[in-house]
Amino acid sequence: MNDATILLAAPTPGAGANEAAPAAGAGDYEKVEGRDRETIECQRACEAVAADKTASDYSHIVWAYGVIWALFCAYGIFLWRRSQRLADDISALNRKLERVR
Amino acid sequence: MGRTLPLVLFAFGAGTFPYCVQRVFFSTPMERQMGTVQKIFYFHVPLAWIMMLMGVVCGIAAAIQLRRQSSRAEATAIAAAEIVLVAGLGVLITGPIWGHATWGKAWTWDARQVSTGLLWLIFAAYVLVRHYGAAGSERLAAALAIFGAIDVPIIYYAVKIWKTTHPDNNVVGTLPPEMWATLWPCLAALLAMSLGLMLTRIRQEVAEISLDEGWVRIDDVVRSMTAKDDGKDADKDDGKDADKDASKDEE
Repeated sequence: MNDATILLAAPTPGAGANEAAPAAGAGDYEKVEGRDRETIECQRACEAVAADKTASDYSHIVWAYGVIWALFCAYGIFLWRRSQRLADDISALNRKLERVR
Repeated sequence: MGRTLPLVLFAFGAGTFPYCVQRVFFSTPMERQMGTVQKIFYFHVPLAWIMMLMGVVCGIAAAIQLRRQSSRAEATAIAAAEIVLVAGLGVLITGPIWGHATWGKAWTWDARQVSTGLLWLIFAAYVLVRHYGAAGSERLAAALAIFGAIDVPIIYYAVKIWKTTHPDNNVVGTLPPEMWATLWPCLAALLAMSLGLMLTRIRQEVAEISLDEGWVRIDDVVRSMTAKDDGKDADKDDGKDADKDASKDEE
């Protein structure tokens, strides 16, 4: 990390644009620990890449899990319809048996 | 028992599934290199195992059916082949989704991918031959199923024999305990669902075979009854003709 110490000037009431800045350490300045703009932008870019990857990973997972359970459900429905057809066939056979008797 | 066991398996699978999702997404640590997408593993690998297991079951059942003409073995082979198609399609779709996220390419023509695709095609051919094949095509179908079962060890050893992009078989053995603890419930849920569906399909196929036999028998009975009635009518007609002839002679 490229951390740098930046001294930010605290606004002083009544200070004009042409007035000279007060000397450091005189009590008008506050020392702030921060990062330079480049480091912050680099970090944000990395975070954006990570966020994109996580979003893409989640979409891949949703597709994968959705496909698996959709396949099982589709096969379950296929079996259920088949059992309905078999039940109809059995009752047709029973009707024919009754007629023959 | 025949009807209860599939229901018990479905209930177990349905009950375990929410626990699996909870474990996969909230209790299992993220894999360092692949990140979130590695979570496809917990369903992709068990599905591949189920596909290979059912491929072997189908091959053995088809061989038994070929030798003993057993209707139960025939039903088992057909049911197992259909589960191979369902699980195989799951593997062949989730694998490329995972590959697209990690390798940047969905299909790399890697030996494991190709041998898995081949297994799926063999069992698709088996199911089609069983469905639409003419009488006597059971032998061809059984040969296909046995050929498919032989492909299973090829899939397993593909990553050892050839250079592949697919991870090798040691990945599962070297999993950390938290990942193992997630993989097992996922395998149990999917296996319970697959077995439940397979048992239901076996029952249906056995019922269908018995129904076909029932229809053939009842048609035979109806035909023989019709033939008897026709015979009686013919006898009556013959009798009438004889009477007529006799009366003509008397005249």
